[in-house]
Amino acid sequence: MASVLIVDDAAFMRMMIKDILQKNDFEIAGEAANGEEAVEIFKDQQPDLVTMDITMPEKDGLEALKEIKALDSNATVIMCSAMGQQSMVIDAIQAGAKDFIVKPFQADRVMEAINKAM
Amino acid sequence: MAEEEGNNKDLKVIVFQLKDEEYAIEVDHVQSIERMQTVTRIPRVSAHIIGVMNLRGVITPVVDLRRRFGLEEKAYDEATRILVLSKDNIELGLIVDGANDVIDITTGDIEPTPEVVGGVEEEYLRGVVKLEDRLFTLLNLDKVLHDRSTIGV
Amino acid sequence: MSNSEYLDVFIEESQEHLQTVNDSLLQLEKEPDDLSLVNEVFRSAHTLKGMAATMGFEDLAHLTHTMENVLDLIRNEELEASSEILDVVFDSVDDLEEMINDIAEGGSGKRDIQQIADQLEAIQRGEAPSAAGSAEVAAANAQTEVGGGAQNLGESYDEFELTVITQSKEQGFSPYQIRITLDENTMLKAARVYMVFEILEEAGEVIKSTPPVDELEEENFDHEFIVTLVTKESKEDLNERINRISEIQNIEIILIDPEELGENSEAESEPKTEAQGQSSKDSAKAESPESSQPVQQLEPQQQKKDDKDETTKKPSEANKTIRVSIERLDVLMNLFEELVIDRGRLEQISSELDNNELSETVERMSRISGDLQEIILNMRMMPVDQVFNRFPRMVRSLSKDLGKKVNLDIYGAETELDRTIIDEIGDPLVHLIRNSIDHGIETPAERLDKGKSEEGTLVLRAYHSGNNVFIEIEDDGAGINQQKVINKALSNGVVTQEEIEKMSDEQIFGLLFESGLSTADQVTDVSGRGVGLDVVKNTFESLGGVVTVNSEQNVGSIFSIQLPLTLSIIDVMLVELQKEKYAIPLSSIVETAIVNKEDVYSAHNQKVIDFRGNVVPLVFLKNVFEVPEAGIEDEYYSVVLVSKGEKMAGLVVDSLVGQHDVVLKSLGSYLTNVFAISGATILGDGQVALIVDTNALIK
Repeated sequence: MASVLIVDDAAFMRMMIKDILQKNDFEIAGEAANGEEAVEIFKDQQPDLVTMDITMPEKDGLEALKEIKALDSNATVIMCSAMGQQSMVIDAIQAGAKDFIVKPFQADRVMEAINKAM
Repeated sequence: MAEEEGNNKDLKVIVFQLKDEEYAIEVDHVQSIERMQTVTRIPRVSAHIIGVMNLRGVITPVVDLRRRFGLEEKAYDEATRILVLSKDNIELGLIVDGANDVIDITTGDIEPTPEVVGGVEEEYLRGVVKLEDRLFTLLNLDKVLHDRSTIGV
Repeated sequence: MSNSEYLDVFIEESQEHLQTVNDSLLQLEKEPDDLSLVNEVFRSAHTLKGMAATMGFEDLAHLTHTMENVLDLIRNEELEASSEILDVVFDSVDDLEEMINDIAEGGSGKRDIQQIADQLEAIQRGEAPSAAGSAEVAAANAQTEVGGGAQNLGESYDEFELTVITQSKEQGFSPYQIRITLDENTMLKAARVYMVFEILEEAGEVIKSTPPVDELEEENFDHEFIVTLVTKESKEDLNERINRISEIQNIEIILIDPEELGENSEAESEPKTEAQGQSSKDSAKAESPESSQPVQQLEPQQQKKDDKDETTKKPSEANKTIRVSIERLDVLMNLFEELVIDRGRLEQISSELDNNELSETVERMSRISGDLQEIILNMRMMPVDQVFNRFPRMVRSLSKDLGKKVNLDIYGAETELDRTIIDEIGDPLVHLIRNSIDHGIETPAERLDKGKSEEGTLVLRAYHSGNNVFIEIEDDGAGINQQKVINKALSNGVVTQEEIEKMSDEQIFGLLFESGLSTADQVTDVSGRGVGLDVVKNTFESLGGVVTVNSEQNVGSIFSIQLPLTLSIIDVMLVELQKEKYAIPLSSIVETAIVNKEDVYSAHNQKVIDFRGNVVPLVFLKNVFEVPEAGIEDEYYSVVLVSKGEKMAGLVVDSLVGQHDVVLKSLGSYLTNVFAISGATILGDGQVALIVDTNALIK
C-alpha cells in the first residue's frame, strides 16, 4: 500500500484529499500545513508520494519541493494549484514535480494524477 | 405593540400636524423626516408642488400638503417637517406643520371617513382613527403617490 | 462560478460567435473564393457547437454540427459556396440566433430544427464530390493546409522543415506527427503543454508545432495540437511516455514519409503562394501604409512566415483586454457622479474660504477627477458597430424579400458612443433602414427606367463632430414626394396651409416624423409594423438627439441623426433668471451673445434678432418659466442661442453664470412631462438646478 504525505495549509483541503486517498486504499503518511513541516515529515516518513500545495505560509510549496528533491531526487511530488498559478506550476514541473492538479479537486482527477505518477 | 389583539393587523403610523388637526400615515413607506430645506421651484406644474430638493443626492419632489388640501397657507417654521415617502420607485416629500410621534394602531381602529373632515378630498384618505381622546385622519399612501393632479399643466 | 454565471458567459460568447459567422458569411457571399472566410465561419461554428454541447443545449449543438458539415465541404472546396447554399446556411444561423435568444431570455433553447437540418443534410449528400475531385481540391487547398493521404495529420512543411525531416531520417531518426488532445476540462492548459514538450524534447527534436509554441503558451488553442518530432524512440515508447501525463484524452502518433510530404507540398505550393501573397498584401494594406511594402517580392517561404506572424500577433493583443460587466461600469459611473457633486461642493467651499493651500489642493483634485471622468466616460464608450453589425444581414434579407437590389456601405462603424445610447438606438435605426429600402430604393426595373443602375445604394455613416455623434442613412432612391407629405399633413390636420407656406423644404420633410403620417401608398409587410416615424423621433429626442431629413425627388433621401456622446455627465451653461439657476446643455448652444434692446425687432408679434444674417426668434425664459417678480429691466439682453437641427432660437436670460460639468439626474417618477425641463442637477452648493430642454422651446 503506497503512502502519501498531504501538504496544504487549509485543513479542509487536506481532509478532501485524505478522503479521496483513503477511499482508494492509500495510506496517509502524514499531513503538513506548511512547507517547513512538509520537509520534516518527508525526512521522517519517506512517503511514496507527496501532494504539495503551492501557496502556503512559512515555506511555500515550490521551496519545499526543491528541498524534498534535494533530499531524494526520485521523490514523487504532485503539485496542488489554484487556477491562475500557471507560471508557478511550470516552475514546479521544471523543479521536478511529476504532475499537478488544479483546485477545486475532482476525485477522478486526483486519482488519475496519482496513478500516472507512481 | 398594539394593546389589543385580534384578527386585526398591527399598523405603525406617524402622526403629523396640519393646521389644527392630526393626520397619520403608515410608517412603512416613510423613508425619513426632514427639517425644512431649500426647494427649487419647478415651472408650470400644479401649485401644490413647490419644487424639488436635493435629498442626499436624490432629486426629490416636494408637495405642500396644506396647498394640496386647499388649507390656508402658513409660513414654514422650526416645527415644519418634510415627510419623505418612498414606494415603488416613487419618492416624494410632503410638507407638514409638524411631525409629532409614532403610534401603534390596528386596522380595526380605522373607521370610515366622516363628513366632518371638510375640504380634503375623500379619496386621499383611508379613514379616521380614534384613540382615547385623540382623533386623526389616515392618509391613503397610494393615492398620495399617484396623485394625477400633480402632472404638469 | 455558479451555473448562471457560466450561462452568461455562454450567451455572450455565443452571440459573439454568431456575429462572426454572420459577418464572414456576408463577406463570403461577395467573395465566394476566399476560403479563409469559410474557415472563420467554421471555427466559430465549431466553438459554438462545443459550448452548446457542454451546456447541454442539444438542438443548438445538433444544428451547429450539421451546419459545420456543410461548411467543411465548402472549405475543402468540395462544395461551392453558391447563393442557394448560403441561403440555407443563413437560415440555420437565424435558427441558432433564435435558440440563443431563447436561452438568454431564460428559455430552454429547444427548437424544431428538423427541417433546416434536413436541408443541410441534403446539401451535404447531394453534392458530395467524386474522390478524384476531392483529391485535386485538397492539393489546391491553401488555407486549411490539409494534405491528402493517411500519412499526414494535416500538417504542411516549408522547405527548411522538409530538409530537416529528410536529413534526420537519413541519420536514423524517425519523424513523427503527434496529435495530442487534452481533456476537455483541462485547466492550466499551458502547464500541460509544457509537460508534453518537456517529454518530447527529452525524446528528440521538435521540428514544428501547430499551433506554434508561443500560441500554445498563451492558451490560444482549443484542446488539440500537432507536433512534428524527430526521435530515435519508438512510437510505442513515445506513446507510453506522453501517456504518463494526466489530463490527456488522446494521443495519435504517425510515422511520416518525407518524400510523400515533399510531393504533396510541391503540389500545394503553386496555388498556395498565390493565395497567401494576396492575403498578406491585403493585411498589410489594412494595417498601415508603412507596412505596405512590396510584399510580393519576398520569397514564398518568407511570406508564409509573415502570415504566421500576423496570426500570432493578434491573439496576444486581444489578451490585453479584460471583460468587465456593464453593471460594474454603471456602479463605477454612479459613484463617480457622487464624486463630481462633491467636487463642485469642495470647489465652492474653497473659493469661499480663500485659503491658498486648500485651493491648490482642490484645484489639483479637480484636475485629477477631470482626467478620471474622461477615462470613465471613455470606458463606457462602445463602437456603433455594436448596432451596425446586424444591418448587413437585415438589408440582405429585406432586399431579397422586396425583390430589390441594395448595396449597403457602412462608414465609421468604429465611431464610439456611450453604451446607454448604443443600447437605445438599435430599433429606431432598424426602422429608418427598413424605411429607406421599402420606400426609398426602387425596384431594379424602375431604376433602369429612370436611367439609374439596377442596384440601389444605402449608405450608413457615423462620425464625430464636437460633442456629438452623427449617424446618417442615405439612399439613392426615389426620394420623398413633398406634395404627398403636404397633402397628408393637411388632411390629418397636422399643419395648416398657412404654416406650410412658411416652411422650408426640410421642415416639410420633418412633418414625416409627426404622428399619423406615413406616405406609403401601400402598407407593406416591411414598414407597416405599426411603429411610425414619430416613435423614431421620440426615441432619439429622449436621448437628447435630433433627427432631420432631406430629400430630392428621384435622387434620394438622407436621414441625419445627431446624438450626444454621453448621457450622464454633461457640459452645461448655467444661467440665472432672477434668483433661479437653470442649466442649458452646451451641446445645443450655438453661441451666447449680449444684445442691445434696440437691436430687437418685432415680427408677427414675435420678438426677433438678426443673428449673422438669420432672423432668430427670442424666447424669454422668465416668461416661459413664470419666474416670479420681474426685476428692473436692463438695457441689454443676455441671449443664449440654441439650435435644433437647422432651427434656432435665442433664449433671453438675466445673466450667464458660466460653464460647468454636471451630473444629469432625473426629476423622479412622481413628476412626469414637465414642460421644457429634461432633468435636474445638483450644484456645488447643494442646490438643485433644472436642466432646460431646449428642443421644446424651439418652434
